[in-house]
Amino acid sequence: MTERVGIVAVAQTKYSPNRADANEGELVYEAVRQVLQETGLKFAQDGSGIDATVTCSQDFWDGRTISSCNVMSYVGHHHSDEDKVAEDSLNAVYTAFARILSGHQDVILVATHCKESQGDKRGIENAAMDPIFLRVLGLDFLSAAALQARRYMYKYGITPEQCARVVVKNRGNAKRNPLAQEPMEITVEDVLGSQVLASPIRQLDSKPTSDGACAMILAREGKAKKLARKPIWILGASNCYETNYLGDRDLAECDALVTAAKKAYKMAGIKDVMNQVNVAEISEEYSYQELLWMEGLGFCQRGEAGRLLDSGVTQMGGQLPVNPSGGMLAGNPTVVAGMARAAEAVLQLRGEAGEHQAEGAKKALVHGFTGACGQLQGVMILGN
Amino acid sequence: MTTEKTAEKKPEYLKVEIARPRSYKWSSGKYLGKLYKEALEKKKLVTNRCPKCKQLMWPPMAVCGRCNVATGEDWVEMSDTGTVVQYTYLVFPLWDPHYGDRLANPYPTATIKLDNGVFLVHFLEEKDPEKLKKVKRVQAVWKEEGRGRGLADILCFRTIEE
Repeated sequence: MTERVGIVAVAQTKYSPNRADANEGELVYEAVRQVLQETGLKFAQDGSGIDATVTCSQDFWDGRTISSCNVMSYVGHHHSDEDKVAEDSLNAVYTAFARILSGHQDVILVATHCKESQGDKRGIENAAMDPIFLRVLGLDFLSAAALQARRYMYKYGITPEQCARVVVKNRGNAKRNPLAQEPMEITVEDVLGSQVLASPIRQLDSKPTSDGACAMILAREGKAKKLARKPIWILGASNCYETNYLGDRDLAECDALVTAAKKAYKMAGIKDVMNQVNVAEISEEYSYQELLWMEGLGFCQRGEAGRLLDSGVTQMGGQLPVNPSGGMLAGNPTVVAGMARAAEAVLQLRGEAGEHQAEGAKKALVHGFTGACGQLQGVMILGN
Repeated sequence: MTTEKTAEKKPEYLKVEIARPRSYKWSSGKYLGKLYKEALEKKKLVTNRCPKCKQLMWPPMAVCGRCNVATGEDWVEMSDTGTVVQYTYLVFPLWDPHYGDRLANPYPTATIKLDNGVFLVHFLEEKDPEKLKKVKRVQAVWKEEGRGRGLADILCFRTIEE
């Protein structure tokens, strides 16, 4: 029987609006150094240590092609097996997971970085659109998200107040997470009174500019049990793509997420997500996304996420706390966000999340996405 | 017939040009920052040494990729003289990607083994293809007014007789 794959160590930098003091390599090394120290592992070609590295970064954000070159000395892939994944870093964890399941590699370091402070966010996002056909329309992920928010709220009767309550919850949760960038004690009125960026999305409905990095080490079961006191197992993983052209989609729906979730749940034996999963870390760059993604993940019927939030189920102490870390809304860079969610879920399942620990977490759901209106969706189920 | 006429029409193949570059504000980080500062203020190249393998980093870096250890602050001044290892004579024009300036054309680019053992890629002053074949020993020529751009604050490497 195939051995399971375990996460044996995780580390994140503190998330910050502008790490002008560090280049990409120095930033990612802050996290890499911690997981190397925690496990005592070294890079090796003979199977005695780390067999390979999977990094996740984005060339447009780093401003160079083959952006993994920015970090190669820092993440140990000198004369070694290295793979770079772009888009969301949860995909990098998925890649490392698949490599270990192949049976050819036992221990893999995964590392991701992004410095949003260095690039032109809206220009980079605009470049995700078809270069000659769509870029001229000036769309970026914010304006695309605003179209999606409008459509979703109209179709399912989600209110601006419900979206604002996501922000109040997540920014509030962040107060207990020492690595969170912008914890806030705010009210629904504060959110609704903040500057409109692209209606209906306001300043506080969106995440702040963020720099940060995350690293983790994955190992096959036999080694994971020796390397970690509490290895956390990847029970299911999947991803799914939507079309790139927004006109091909009903933006109130998130079919790719529905498909990704179904496949990950099947692999993990999840039949009733609300009763089998105890904590969820969901990537929400904008407030409406936590609600829409909760529906796509099958937490409730379509259009019911606002009411589910209002009932308190997803708060700390509720049946299924969502984003005890504060989520992306409290400040994570794009690219890094998905792995940050996974790292937070690992802390929850180890019972080592400190003040933002959810009670008795046995299984956790991790979600990552990238692209306009969540074009790529990734879902992972972890268990202790 | 109309259909035949339509079929004869040539399709419109267009070129869509995007001329505006994307802007970045890269952080040098601590180690590259020191290199840039020393180059600007003292017209010197500096680098740091790995505490384990004792080799010089180039460029200066926080981690030695060979040993996977943090390097620290063992700083040394680089030699400004060296020996040409290989060169090419560039005939096609290139440009300075940061400032958009055209580089002088044609110009020779070389790998120079500096006297402290570090391999550096830079321009040679000698532009005569025949004389280039004989160039061995070279020395850095710094620009009068540096812009704080590290290696770009050096104009070129000049042939020296020893």
